[in-house]
Amino acid sequence: MSILANSKTKVIIQGITGTQASFHVSRSIDYGTNVVGGVTPGRGGTTHLGVPVFDTVKEAVAQTGADASVMFVPAPAVKSAVAEAVEAGVKLLVCITAGVPVHDMLAIRQILKGSQTKLIGPNTPGLLVPEETRLGIYPENIHQRGRIGLISRSSTLTYEAALEINRAGMGQSTVVAIGDDMIIGMDFVEGLKLFHSDSETDAIVMVGQIGGKFEEDAASWYAAQCSKKPIICYIAGNDTTFRNHVGYAGDIITRGRITLAGKKKTMSQSGMIVVNNISQIHEVLSSIAK
Amino acid sequence: MDIHEYQAKQILKNNGINVPQGKVAYTALEAENVARKISARGPWVLKAQIHSGARNHGHFVERNAGKGGGIRIVKTLKDVYKNAQQMLGSTLVTSQNKPNGKIVGRIYVESYVKVEHTFYLSMAIDRTYPAITILAANTETDDIAAILANSQEKIIRVPLNLKGPTKKHSTQIASFLKLHPKNYDNFHHFVCGLFKAFMNSEALMVEINPAGTCRNGEIVALDAKITIDNRAIYRHKDIASFLDEDDIPPRVLKAIRNGFEYHEYNGNIGCIVNGSGLALAMVGLLKGSAACTLNIKGGVDRDKVAAGIKIIATNPRVEGIVINILGGFVRCDMIADGIIDTASEVGMNVPLVVRFEGTNRDEACNILEQSKLPLIMADNMDNAIDKILKSVGENQ
Repeated sequence: MSILANSKTKVIIQGITGTQASFHVSRSIDYGTNVVGGVTPGRGGTTHLGVPVFDTVKEAVAQTGADASVMFVPAPAVKSAVAEAVEAGVKLLVCITAGVPVHDMLAIRQILKGSQTKLIGPNTPGLLVPEETRLGIYPENIHQRGRIGLISRSSTLTYEAALEINRAGMGQSTVVAIGDDMIIGMDFVEGLKLFHSDSETDAIVMVGQIGGKFEEDAASWYAAQCSKKPIICYIAGNDTTFRNHVGYAGDIITRGRITLAGKKKTMSQSGMIVVNNISQIHEVLSSIAK
Repeated sequence: MDIHEYQAKQILKNNGINVPQGKVAYTALEAENVARKISARGPWVLKAQIHSGARNHGHFVERNAGKGGGIRIVKTLKDVYKNAQQMLGSTLVTSQNKPNGKIVGRIYVESYVKVEHTFYLSMAIDRTYPAITILAANTETDDIAAILANSQEKIIRVPLNLKGPTKKHSTQIASFLKLHPKNYDNFHHFVCGLFKAFMNSEALMVEINPAGTCRNGEIVALDAKITIDNRAIYRHKDIASFLDEDDIPPRVLKAIRNGFEYHEYNGNIGCIVNGSGLALAMVGLLKGSAACTLNIKGGVDRDKVAAGIKIIATNPRVEGIVINILGGFVRCDMIADGIIDTASEVGMNVPLVVRFEGTNRDEACNILEQSKLPLIMADNMDNAIDKILKSVGENQ
């Protein structure tokens, strides 16, 4: 089994008629994704990319039984698009959109609270199960099926990490990018839990980034687990980019300045295998396979 | 986006918070006139308006800027003029903007307000929950920098929901700060005003360091820093006009205008990438040789790619450029078109290594091959780094 989605997952696309959406969704359909419809207000009743278009998510769900939505809507419209999808009972949302205002994300997290809906992103290439389904914008030519789970904050480093897994002669069970915005939906802990209970995942590659404490949260969860799948962890960052802070609040929130070295130390103390360069991932994977 | 203290205080005032009377000045003469206008007699406070904290403990690089730091209390109009003249146009270096510091282009002139009890109070977003969180500390004996370094238990953290602070929250904080109970109502009003300011301006951080209680029980914000969410500025035209372009280095400004993210380092290799994580990873691999990274992000067209390459090429440190694109949303072929446009327009006189992977990679490689430009192609990240370091080394 993959995590979160598979070839049977029925997918609708919010904002299906846009240029970028059209380009990527037709590639997803070719990849095998079970796209059952799309939503563009005012375009209901038409057909686009061979699937029916609806005016609202509610209608789309009622007509198609969709359980996931990939969102290609402009940043200012993301808040209402999420609210609409949550209300329609869509279980999984993948929000590709970059640049969603932070205060909108605060409101979105409030909307998600207590709902059955899980949000991946925003600002993510999405979710991909190699050779099965593509909920997002991943370059499909670089992924191959295998037994390594891949979870990452950065979009482009997800592709780089996938190439590293291939380089070790392995492949991915599921690839999920959680987005590198200030506030996101699903975090590392949730993703790692899913990979830990997935029978088709033997080990996990995790790509973190400096800024915030999502990685530290993952480390404290991992440290507390009795049975651990190996996690190979790379943290992108350097201490100079984030040096110029205005004010003290940022450092107080994180209980002291977070440095790259400090972050790596926390990760490795939790039992993760920390690599200094992303191009070392394939070596570590090969060595633990022996 | 960071805004100046005087702009932040305008926002606070609009949301019902007391701030000392003050006005911004761009010349010494203006400072003197402003001082005369806001109060008949001194003292006045002259505050350098740069995007940095710790201005009081900062120092000026220029010798003729006098001995004082970035915040000066002066008693006569003559001294207002003299100190304003010293500070304006001089470079203020603080613990938060060292080593370069920033040139002071404007001064905020305020009437001096005597306070009895000072404290630090800010609101910022704790990303984990996520929650807007109040952070507060009593600064009677130590300042916030010392408390942060040595005794974090002296900082109270109160997460809020989107409805804002309740009376219970504000009382809890006021008692932690050891305020006099007769001031609790004023303190509640102060905290609510701060929350309103935070929400109304879509701030990422609002920081008052310090605030103080006056003899009459009023609470006044003596300083103010507000960071606004760049992504929400389109909804706040009034705040958008606060952008101080002189406070932003020209190449960074150009990058912002194009929707890019740009960072400078001390090496000699310029990197163009699509993704902030990728930018960080490149800096790591270059081990000190990175001169700058430009993240062109997802939604670019061929003209924007050309604009991006020009930003990098005008950095005098850059002796070689590496373009590393992992196309997902971005289509490699479009980047290739942008490279050709720039090369024909400005010419390429430094080595250029290109690595494409992902969406439309093969089309992109074909385009570059047919262009006959003197590019070096790489097939993975390590390889790209090796090639650029090698060809820059050979040029020297």
